Order: sequence, then structure tokens, then C-alpha cells
Amino acid sequence: MRKIENIVEFNNVNKYFKDFSLENINLQVKQGQITGFVGANGAGKSTTMKLMMNLLQPDTGEIKVFGKDYANHEKELKERIGFVYDSNVFYESLNLKDIRKIIGPAYKNWSDSKFYDYIKKFELPLNKAIKTFSKGMLMKTSLAMALSHEAEFIMMDEPTAGLDPVFRRELLDILKEMMEDGRRTIFFSTHITSDLERIADNITFIQSGKILFNESIRDIQERYALVKGNANLINHDIEKYFISMERSSTEFQAITNNAEEVRSLLGDQVVMEEASLEDIMFYTKGASRQYV
Amino acid sequence: MFNLIKKDFVIQKTQILLFIPFIIFFAIFGDHMSPAFIFLLASTYIPLNGYIYDEQVESNILLNSLPYTRKEIVSAKYIGAIAYMILGIGVASVILYLFNFGFMIRDITIAMGLFFVFSAFAFPLFYVLKPGYIGVVVIFGMILLAGVLPPLFRLLTEHLTTITDFLTSLSTTTLYLSGAAISIILYLTSWMVSQLIYQRKVF
Repeated sequence: MRKIENIVEFNNVNKYFKDFSLENINLQVKQGQITGFVGANGAGKSTTMKLMMNLLQPDTGEIKVFGKDYANHEKELKERIGFVYDSNVFYESLNLKDIRKIIGPAYKNWSDSKFYDYIKKFELPLNKAIKTFSKGMLMKTSLAMALSHEAEFIMMDEPTAGLDPVFRRELLDILKEMMEDGRRTIFFSTHITSDLERIADNITFIQSGKILFNESIRDIQERYALVKGNANLINHDIEKYFISMERSSTEFQAITNNAEEVRSLLGDQVVMEEASLEDIMFYTKGASRQYV
Repeated sequence: MFNLIKKDFVIQKTQILLFIPFIIFFAIFGDHMSPAFIFLLASTYIPLNGYIYDEQVESNILLNSLPYTRKEIVSAKYIGAIAYMILGIGVASVILYLFNFGFMIRDITIAMGLFFVFSAFAFPLFYVLKPGYIGVVVIFGMILLAGVLPPLFRLLTEHLTTITDFLTSLSTTTLYLSGAAISIILYLTSWMVSQLIYQRKVF
């Protein structure tokens, strides 16, 4: 059997709403890796994730999960997907025992013993109503569900938002552990860039309904750089390689998205450092606004 | 599909416990009421409650993220409703019998017919209306029906003698059979309408 490289593929997907639209979305989620999905609130992250789960259908374009479409393989695909949503989706008056009775039988691969193992590991109460759960507990609940049916692809919408720092670390560790056997793929949205630097292999960056980049972190960090040097080096030809620049009468500091070219043009005359993801995203945003 | 039907039972465990005292209440204090009406309440109790639980956007997101198709989610409601109607009526007849509340098979058939008609109109509303409005609409609708239908029927019997003459001329069997046919056709149509609406629903 051919190894599927992209667990999720969006090809020219468009989705229009009254006051918002996703335009020409192309994105790939690579197998066995963690892809972080970043963007401001309202940039289209949740809509994209709903499209990925077939909660919404695209107006045009094609969405494939595990190389198959939802129209003909909906159940088969959802058997293999685990989900963590931003808000609670479980019936709030029920306890975990009852939730298991509803969710367990839905999956062919469900394992009760795995479920109870994870509940124990995550220290979740079996007999308390879901409505008493904290955000962190809800997240662990969703993860326990996903792991109990051997989900190969886990989609998480803002899993770290609203978590205290200690639990955030814990979650990132759980995710790392989940990835160890290399069979799982994770796609998660966030607006906290330090989460990405810690665990993501790839970054997909969305802004105002458009994907600005969808690359591996390493490539991004190689392409972008923070450049510092003497202000008299700046001329029109150099400036076009910068997506942002601050200058005083004697010095400048800029971010480039073409580090290689800048290095060959200016070489030792400037100091080049690794740009942080936050800087990259902040300035990419500025650049796109400037040139649209 | 069976799991989806069973789900409605699991989510309303506590309400189902209240079902028995609810019917006992009618068995004791409802002696002026038609048994058919009590059976109608008993039959709609579980299906309606199930809908109220599932009207939230979140439960729709959950169900649609599980390996179910939208078609199955709607079908489970319509098939489940019949199963829960039979269960509700069964339990209610035992209770009424134990409390010496007189009723006839005719009351049960009328209740079943009314159940199909009521459900046929109510169920699609759950897919159309925004969450939170359903309860109000259903209660308002029931009051309206109870208030408007009897005088309307009286008006019809007084003025449209041809219709009533025609109806009385029919044998009871024909009357019942056509009533059954009409209510089942309404229910099936409603099922198809709900499918169409739910396919396009946005969560």
C-alpha cells in the first residue's frame, strides 16, 4: 500500500459567509508530525477546523483526509479522527461513565480498558458531572476519548487557551508522548507562539481567511532572520528584502524573509540572528497589509 | 444507529425516573381528562426530551464529529421516537391499569395517531429554530392547538354538514385506517423534510 504522506489536504478550498470568507485555502497536514495552526482571533482557524471535520462543507475546492473524501467515506474517516474542541461538547449533566456509554459504542476500535487507563492516568473523576470540570479536565477528557479509539489523527482547537502554565506544560508533554510511536498526527490551533516553538514540526499561518505560510519550522527559521547593522548600509535595493525595519540615524534593525540573499549581499557588515516566531508572524502580517 | 437511539435514553436517565410519578399524577388527578391525552403525553415524553438535549450547538458538534452521518442522526430520532412512544404508552397503560383508570384500546390508537401528527410538525422545528427557542415554541404551539382546535372542530361540525355526514357515513374501520394512513404519511414526509434541513445545517 502507498504510504499516505498528507493526512489532510485542502485544495483551493473556498468558503463564503456573509461577513467573512476563507479564500483559496491550500494546506497539508503531514503524517507523523505536529502541525501548529496560528492566526489571530477571527482569522478563520475554527472555520478551517470545522471544514476538516466535515461540520461545514466547502463551497468550492476539495478536502481530503487520509486521502479520501467525506462524501463517500464519512464514517470511515471519523473512525480515525480524534477531536478536542475549544468549548465543551459533552452533555454537561452526565458523568464520564455515562459519556463513555454514548461515545464508546460509536467507534469500532474503542477499548474500555484503554479508556479507564487514561482516566486514571489523567486523574479524572468518573462520577462527577461534566459541568463541574475545569477547562484542563475537559481537554484531558477529549484526549482520553481520542486515545481510547486509537485515533490516528487528532485535531485540537485552541487546546492551550485558558490553561494555567503548569497544565500547559503537562499537556505539551502528553502530546509529545502521544507522538512517540510515530503513528499519530496532530493538528492544533493556537495563538500562543511559544507552544509552537516547543512542540510543533510545522506551522500553518492564517490571516483574514488566507493561508500565509504552511511550512516546517526549520525552513521558516532558516528563511527569516533578524538583521542589525549600520544605518548607512540601507539603500533601496536592500530595503526590498526586509519585511519590516526600524532605523535611527546610526543603526537599523530589520526582519528579512530572504536571509540567504541578505547574507550574500551584506555578509559581515551586519549581524544576523534567528528571528522569533512571534516577530515573524507579527511582521508578516504587516507586510501583507502593506502589499495587498 | 442503535447507539444513537440508546443515547437518548442514557442522556435523560433522571428525567426518565420522573416519568413514572408524572403518569401516576395523571392517573390520580386526571380523572376528568381523556385517557388518549395522557397516552399522548406519555408517548412524546422521551422523544421530546431527547430533542431538547440535542438542540444545543455543542451536542450537534459532538454527534457530527463521531463516526455517524447526518442521515443516521436524523433517522435515529425518527425511529427512536417510535420505539420510545411504544415504551411510553406501554408503561403508561400499566400504571393506568394499576390505578384503575379506565381506558380502551381506542384511546391508545388515537394517542398514537396524534403522536405521529404532533411529531411530524414538531420535529422539523428542532432542526430549523435556533437553540433556546424550541421550548417556548413547543409550549406555545400546544396551548394554541388546545385552544384553537376544539372550537374549530365545533365550527366545522356545525357548518360543514357535508363533511361530517361523509365522515359519519364511513365505517369505523375505514375511518381508523385512513386516519392511520394520513398520520403515517405525515410522519414520513416530516422525516424527509428533516433530513433535507439537517443536511444543510451549519453548526
